[in-house]
Amino acid sequence: MSFKVIPKVALPEWIDHLCTGYRVVGPKPLHGQHIFSDIQSAVELDLGYPTTVIPPKKYLLPQREDLIRFKSDGNQIHVEEVIETKPTVVLGIHTCDLHAIQLLDRVFYQGFSDQHYRAHRENTYLVSIECLQPCIPQSFCKSMGTLSVTDGFDLHLTDIGDDYAVDIETEKGAALLDGFSAVRDVTDEEYRLFNRVVSEKWARFPLRLDFDITELPSLLSVSYESKLWDELGERCLACGMCTNVCPTCYCFNVTDEVDFTLSAGKRIRIWDSCQLDKFATVSGGHNFRSSRAHRQRHRFFRKGKYQMDAYGLLGCVGCGRCGQACLADIKIVDTLNDLYHRHANNREQERLL
Amino acid sequence: MSAKPKVAFFDFTSCEGCQLTVIDSLQTHPEILDVIDIVCFREAMSEKGDDYQIAFIEGSCTRPSDEPVMQAIRDRAELVVALGACAHLGGINAIRNRFDLDDVRQYVYGDKAEWYETYQARPIKAVIPIDAVLPGCPIDRREFVAALKALLQGRAIQIPDYPVCVECKLKENICVYLRGKTCLGPITRAGCDAICPTYGDGCEGCRGLIPDPNIDSLKQILSEHGLNPDETLAKMTLFLNYQTMEREAADDDQENG
Repeated sequence: MSFKVIPKVALPEWIDHLCTGYRVVGPKPLHGQHIFSDIQSAVELDLGYPTTVIPPKKYLLPQREDLIRFKSDGNQIHVEEVIETKPTVVLGIHTCDLHAIQLLDRVFYQGFSDQHYRAHRENTYLVSIECLQPCIPQSFCKSMGTLSVTDGFDLHLTDIGDDYAVDIETEKGAALLDGFSAVRDVTDEEYRLFNRVVSEKWARFPLRLDFDITELPSLLSVSYESKLWDELGERCLACGMCTNVCPTCYCFNVTDEVDFTLSAGKRIRIWDSCQLDKFATVSGGHNFRSSRAHRQRHRFFRKGKYQMDAYGLLGCVGCGRCGQACLADIKIVDTLNDLYHRHANNREQERLL
Repeated sequence: MSAKPKVAFFDFTSCEGCQLTVIDSLQTHPEILDVIDIVCFREAMSEKGDDYQIAFIEGSCTRPSDEPVMQAIRDRAELVVALGACAHLGGINAIRNRFDLDDVRQYVYGDKAEWYETYQARPIKAVIPIDAVLPGCPIDRREFVAALKALLQGRAIQIPDYPVCVECKLKENICVYLRGKTCLGPITRAGCDAICPTYGDGCEGCRGLIPDPNIDSLKQILSEHGLNPDETLAKMTLFLNYQTMEREAADDDQENG
């Protein structure tokens, strides 16, 4: 839409301005890591954060959320939908997480769109930030093609020294700057500086996959019987940390809670994980993914193939959170490279056949 | 609605802290008393009734004379629920099961050791069949309340079958391993809302093992985080000794035959 500049010295004023009309959340330090959390002033905000424990998807799909309230009067059950949302500005979203939100949008809007996700999404203002330095050793955004964005945000910030360059993509984004006097037009020199900053950053980021990511779905398709899955299964704790910190995982469980009248209560949903022992247990008790090896394989196939088949986007954005969280040191990069070196030849053979 | 179910509370070898949590939940949820009739609860009231449908038992079985008392409760109650780590797992009482019992008695009771008939500590399910378990040291108040509702609805009590890490991560706690400590969260049953890691301490496993825990992998991780085999064993035998010894016996059986 348009391109502006916010002087860094005016950031506190902008945050104060936003706080008058919106819930404002952003990355804050906590015990040596960072989490997205509510902020009241710019001093709490750390836009230079490496990564967060949980991605900002929690504002679109909360960890635990009431869906409906119900009450029975003996004859009839009364159901009332519960949608609790307020205008929320998420500041400082890394581009990997923004790519993940694009996948979540496809998942939750396609077919029967999810009214709760939709309500949060429409009430959420996405302010992303250009990553200029690699964040954590486990990240591999450049290999996944998520080191930059062209759309999907409302505002996109780029640190150009004394100022943030602001790409205003949507009306919602423009609204965040309404009445904020310090935002101004970009000068030619600032625009040149912006171009230099975003082009020079690429060399700082390593390519960590040993193959081109477009080959991933076909690599996985010849790796289903790989011994590697058993090796991962030996190490995996099935603790679900990898999926719970993942920006693209969206599985949830739905349960009812009643009060002591036993005739009224609420239906809630809570994040679930395909890595947990009972996730794939069905009526009758059969568990069709009872081994950790099969569950890990399922996770990698979701990320590298199934999402692409269903939604046209890969299910991994290379944020590296799962590799950082995993106590057993299972990392997507290492696993995919290992698969490539073991099985890329199989693929050649299949092609020849 | 039918008459209120009659409920009784009993305790064996324990600190009775789980029953304190029950009393605590009666304060936060006084409506519980509108829907059940408590007929026996030594820690909270003087009256003693022996007509009840639901028995909650805290504590482990640690001496022969506990057995007929537990059996009598089982005979009277339609449903028996183990309340807390001692009833569920033998609790920390079962630490002694790794040692020679004469030495243990001597250590605790000195020259009066022979007055006491204590034997290996066991969870109550080793003595009588039970219908449900509320794990933890102490039990989780919300889980107790949810369990009561389930029983009143005629449904089975549901406790989580996934590890503490799930609840911990959903709360967005910083992993205690990243804070330089160790934790049994990856193999321990959730349901406590990860209360210890939330306050910066590692999980000690009071809620028992999840189904199919990957203990070998966790031991490797504990070692990478600086625990020697003795320290790892101490961790695995604080609340988990009964389960650990069961697993050791099963491994021995497998090796021998």
